[in-house]
Amino acid sequence: MKLAINMEKSAQMLLVSATKNAIQNVVPLNLAIDNPRILGQSLDIQYGVLIGMTGDMKGKLVLSGDSDVFGNIGEVMFGMKIGDEMLSSFSGELGNMIAGGLSSQIYENGLKTDITSPTVLSGNTTLSGFQRALHIPATFERAGEMGIYLLLDAFKGMR
Amino acid sequence: MARILITDDAAFMRMQLKDILTKLGHEVVGEAENGHVSVSKYQELRPDLVTMDITMPEMNGIEALKEIKKINSSAKVIMCSAMGQQALVLEAIKEGAKDFVVKPFSPERIQESIEKVL
Repeated sequence: MKLAINMEKSAQMLLVSATKNAIQNVVPLNLAIDNPRILGQSLDIQYGVLIGMTGDMKGKLVLSGDSDVFGNIGEVMFGMKIGDEMLSSFSGELGNMIAGGLSSQIYENGLKTDITSPTVLSGNTTLSGFQRALHIPATFERAGEMGIYLLLDAFKGMR
Repeated sequence: MARILITDDAAFMRMQLKDILTKLGHEVVGEAENGHVSVSKYQELRPDLVTMDITMPEMNGIEALKEIKKINSSAKVIMCSAMGQQALVLEAIKEGAKDFVVKPFSPERIQESIEKVL
């Protein structure tokens, strides 16, 4: 039992650390991460992006925040204001890059995963039905706050 | 100057790549939003170079790379993906990709890759 709890904690620490590294490799802004929290039964979103993960870690990565936060990040990354017509595409690509980075990070720990194309969520959306979920609150300097959610259905023990 | 076909499901990334490539003096002769369209446009346009995303709907970039190589075994394809795992890079190179650029990329990284491949 104690071993199982330790394994769970180490897996959680790996995911949080890998997610943070992936974000920092993609977004050139100072990032503050609060302690991760266990999320309840469902997640309500106004604007965000969802990327499915398959393989040794099955679940979803969700980035949620005000659309302006995504726009601010895009402006810093690409040196130009992201117009309304490109915001959805940029948001999806931001999620794709972070999920791809997360997948690459955990690959170094022996976990092989693949990601799906991003789905941009706009309007009132409720996600539920996941086994467990971690909420990692993030604040980007000069861009704003974003909720990072790892909705996990299965997670293979680390080798 | 090279004639280049861009493949990426994100319109934003196609726009970014087109901007970088045009500023480097190349001609973007076509854009494809998935692997299936890319193969079809390769057949039609016969570009000097293809940039290829991997995670895309309908047909992924590795499958599209294989199909393009069937059309022309000396086709020059550069993979541009957010997925940078060593195994994926090796698979792409084994299937004939000339280089592998991990997103996010800088204009300098794109320039370096194109100069290496052409």
